[in-house]
Amino acid sequence: MTATQSLLLVLLVPLFSAVLIAFFCRQRHTIAALLSVSAAGGIVLFSVLALSETGTEVLHVTTNWLEFGDFEVNMGLYFDTVSKTMLLMVAVVGFLIHVFSLGYMKGDPGRGRYFGGLSIFMFSMLGIVLADNLIMIFVFWELVGFSSYMLIGHYLHTEKAAAAAKKAFIVNRIGDLGFVVGIAYAYWHFGTTDLEVMGQIVGADDGMIKMSIAALLMCGFIGKSAQFPLHVWLPDAMAGPTPVSALIHAATMVAAGGDFLIRIVYLFPTELLTFIAWLGVFGAVYAGFCAYTRTDIKQILAYSTLSQLGYIGAAFGLGYPGIALFHLVTHAFFKALLFLGAGSVIHGCHHEQNIFKMGGLLKKMPITGITFFIGILALCGVYGLSGYYSKDAILIAGGFGSAPISILLTFGAFLTAGYMGRLFWVAFLGQPNSEAASHAKESPLTMTVPLIVLAVLSVAGGWLDYWPESLGGIIRDDKATLKAMEGYDAMYTKIAILGTAAWVVGLLGAFFFYGRGAKEDRLEKKAAPLYGFLHSRLWFDEVYNYYVLKVQQRFALFLGFLDVFLIKGVLVRGSAGLVGLLGMGARSLHDGNIHVYVYWFLGGMLALWAFAAVASGLL
Amino acid sequence: MENLDSNSIFLLAAILVPLLTGSVLLFGSGFSQGVRRSVALVGFGLPFIVGIWLYCQFEASLVGAYNFELRLPTGLESIGIYLHLGLNAISLPLFLLAGAVGLAAGLYAMHSKAERPHLYLALLLFMLGGLMGTFASIDVFFFYFFHEFALIPTFLMIGIWGGAGRRGAAIEMTIYLTLGALLSLLGLIALYVQSGVESFSLLELRNYLSAQPLAETVQNNIFALLLFGFGILVSLFPFHSWAPKGYAVAPTGAAMLHAGVLKKFGLYGLLQIAAPLLPAGAEHWFPWIVWLALGNILIIGLITLAQKDLKMMLGYSSVMHMGYAFLGLACFSAVGAGGALLLMVAHGLSVALLFMLSTCVYHRSQTFDLAAMGGLAMKAPVLAAFFVAATMASIGLPGFGNFWGEFTIFVALAENPVTRWLVAPAAIGIIISAIYGLRAVANIFFGPPKAQFAERLESGKIVDLQGFEKLPACVLIAGLLVTGIFPRVLSDDANQELMGLYRDNKSTLSVTGAATGSPDAVATKEVKH
Repeated sequence: MTATQSLLLVLLVPLFSAVLIAFFCRQRHTIAALLSVSAAGGIVLFSVLALSETGTEVLHVTTNWLEFGDFEVNMGLYFDTVSKTMLLMVAVVGFLIHVFSLGYMKGDPGRGRYFGGLSIFMFSMLGIVLADNLIMIFVFWELVGFSSYMLIGHYLHTEKAAAAAKKAFIVNRIGDLGFVVGIAYAYWHFGTTDLEVMGQIVGADDGMIKMSIAALLMCGFIGKSAQFPLHVWLPDAMAGPTPVSALIHAATMVAAGGDFLIRIVYLFPTELLTFIAWLGVFGAVYAGFCAYTRTDIKQILAYSTLSQLGYIGAAFGLGYPGIALFHLVTHAFFKALLFLGAGSVIHGCHHEQNIFKMGGLLKKMPITGITFFIGILALCGVYGLSGYYSKDAILIAGGFGSAPISILLTFGAFLTAGYMGRLFWVAFLGQPNSEAASHAKESPLTMTVPLIVLAVLSVAGGWLDYWPESLGGIIRDDKATLKAMEGYDAMYTKIAILGTAAWVVGLLGAFFFYGRGAKEDRLEKKAAPLYGFLHSRLWFDEVYNYYVLKVQQRFALFLGFLDVFLIKGVLVRGSAGLVGLLGMGARSLHDGNIHVYVYWFLGGMLALWAFAAVASGLL
Repeated sequence: MENLDSNSIFLLAAILVPLLTGSVLLFGSGFSQGVRRSVALVGFGLPFIVGIWLYCQFEASLVGAYNFELRLPTGLESIGIYLHLGLNAISLPLFLLAGAVGLAAGLYAMHSKAERPHLYLALLLFMLGGLMGTFASIDVFFFYFFHEFALIPTFLMIGIWGGAGRRGAAIEMTIYLTLGALLSLLGLIALYVQSGVESFSLLELRNYLSAQPLAETVQNNIFALLLFGFGILVSLFPFHSWAPKGYAVAPTGAAMLHAGVLKKFGLYGLLQIAAPLLPAGAEHWFPWIVWLALGNILIIGLITLAQKDLKMMLGYSSVMHMGYAFLGLACFSAVGAGGALLLMVAHGLSVALLFMLSTCVYHRSQTFDLAAMGGLAMKAPVLAAFFVAATMASIGLPGFGNFWGEFTIFVALAENPVTRWLVAPAAIGIIISAIYGLRAVANIFFGPPKAQFAERLESGKIVDLQGFEKLPACVLIAGLLVTGIFPRVLSDDANQELMGLYRDNKSTLSVTGAATGSPDAVATKEVKH
């Protein structure tokens, strides 16, 4: 089997699974689950086949899909080092989360729909990863948005899920507005949207880089990766089932924004890169603060994801797309682990999500507890774990690029350790604080095995030297660039010390401040105004809601009023005279009998025919 | 010309069989249900089958000419009117659309609980016959005639089976559509008279006018008649107010066929006749089309957000999407016209599906009030799935044909420096449509049911989508998916044809328009060709 065939199967297997489930397995839940999990397994298999087939070679095949005039749409596969790395990450993490779902979703009445949704998501996500041009990326970009909509709204009888699903889709569409305009402009600017060809064009003449196009395309990233100011949908998206949060809203889809930027990095002028870096820094720190005021375990992790997406953005903006990709991959491992751990906790505690009502879970759920702690350590960037390598690389890049960025990101690392420490000490140590927590039991093997595998990946995923040759070429390049910088060793030592200090102080500080198994938030008690300010999250949701309900909706109602009363009432009804001119007698008009109009029509047709006949006689 | 090969006969049959079966049913008040349905099935099914067959037989190599030509005398030969039928790559997609929507509307109507079902089906069949004729006509006279022929049953159906408030809506609709039809008729006659070619055949008009274009002022005047005449029929802003109310009261079959297919008559007329034959006139009125189309997208889009009634919302959203088609047309390029063509087909399928499904919702909820439902997905998951799919199609999700239509139009706008600024305001529509579409879905199907609806939901009376509802829905969804996944099935042939029609116009607009920004300058240059 050729690599192209394997890659096509990577795409078609989940699509086929989704179609089968949609048509035949809506009520056959177990079959649907097995089908979807096998499809995810098939993706891993064919991904590995494709990788072993191509090795370090780049594969690029493309075919024409639609053509009008000078406008051509192609669909193709672009299998280079970036997409290879992404493919394997998505395949492995996706498969583990599918397996976890078997246990987590057991007994859910909508399982068939759920697993169908997972399959359609895998299809769409892998489409983004493998796409060879912007239009194809956009097609699959919209499809992941749809699968996200469908899966966030899984518990569709609840108001919360319905609203969150809608919000996620609409906020993403705002970003997509820029994206689609950017594609339209890019097509005529470059004469193509092919990733490789655009790269060659810009490589030959960097005068072809255009700020407007890059900025428009960036909007897509801002929406999908939940960057400021479109970040509001991601915390709400936690209304979906927890494995969905792990797969879509932590490990893969939100990171697809970063992947997209990395693929078109050559289109960005320096000023815009700096902008993205600062956007990322803002997100990293802002979300870090927000996390301190959340009591819902998934919400805390959601803000942590926002914060880490900020790091990815910052790395990209600093000019190191490889480092951004590196953090994207390691983040996928440990954040998927943390979310699945949270899922295991929620499953064990009968859907209790408030950390202050947990406590003492480490004893009750040892595997979940230990793997969760490993995830925290990896996220905090403890030496030797995956997060250390990628996060330190970002901090080093910041140190060389811009001192304030480096300082703020290090501060962000401290915040991260603090809120993750708060979560762990409160939920897992001490004594149970609720009925649900005291009856918590360790989850079944289908859930703990994925946790263990992800824990191993969270530890070892950052050991770049052990990665296969075919993966992560761009990461190695960027690392080498950093290493070649003057004063690298001193910077490395400085960052290692600062980074370690950040997580030690953060974790220990949280331990002493919040205490083991706390029942209530000490920050809220001791510093209510500060807590209240942080809790507001800078009132973004409030401002947006005000705009939607009070400005947009009122304006819409006003226009609707004008439409009914002005155009319809005054212009149409009032202009009987105009109608009279049309040859309809005023009487029949006031008569208002529908049949009369029909006769007028027939009469008109006859008159027309007569006119034609007379004219023919005359001519 | 006069060769009567079998495909031409099929083409004629696609028009005559619905008319014949309709006539039979007209006098079929005594028929049993089985007989009535069988007769109707023949009438609704045959045009669809013929459409598919002719699609397979279609030869794309005949650029600028028609396939399956058939010319019958009418007694008006001396002024150049023949019953001249045929299909080209622009009319074929719409012919197929009419067949598919007709079949779906027919399948659904056969199970309608309307009073006097034979009459209901008969009128629907007359409408379908007229529609097939419109898109199969080469002769401009018959193109218009068949359209009027399909309009009359629409009015009758609204008058007889319409919902509450049908009188006002029907009057408004009649006035508007009559005005639009009269203006476009004047335009067509003016075209006939001014060209002096003494034929209503589009082919002859096209050949003649491409060699000897009309004077600029003449073109401007005729184009204005056609633009506003056809525009009213397509609910161009601000001549749209007949549409939402009209569709809201129309019986399902009439709404499906009118919003889905008949409304496309105006766009088709502009695309196939007005813009190619009167390029200078089109250039002259270009700013008008653009601004009014933006009115359709933005103003009507916002008005759609304010709707509280499901059918009114669908009506306004259908008006809104026509704005994209006008913008595609305003590019006067093969790309823009192609996008408009794809959008017309996909929009026709999706809006027909939505009107049908909204009736299915009504049968379960007994209300169209969006604020009085909720949670229907729990009891009717299949209906919810179809409705979500139809909504996603109409808001332009890839995988459905609407996406390629809208996307191609965005790209077409960006091609030309004159229209480039329009991409962003036009694309705002993708946000607006997502808001109202998903809001409707959430209000009807998700969340907890509203107080008064909760009882109904629990009463056990609510059943999921039935077989007779699924079948027509599947026909329409299949069409949307095919055009969404393999747009080439329609685009490749149409592209050849559109390149032929719009090749010259593109260059003038981009070169002169960019340099001077003045439509008049463009027009002068065009006349020199």
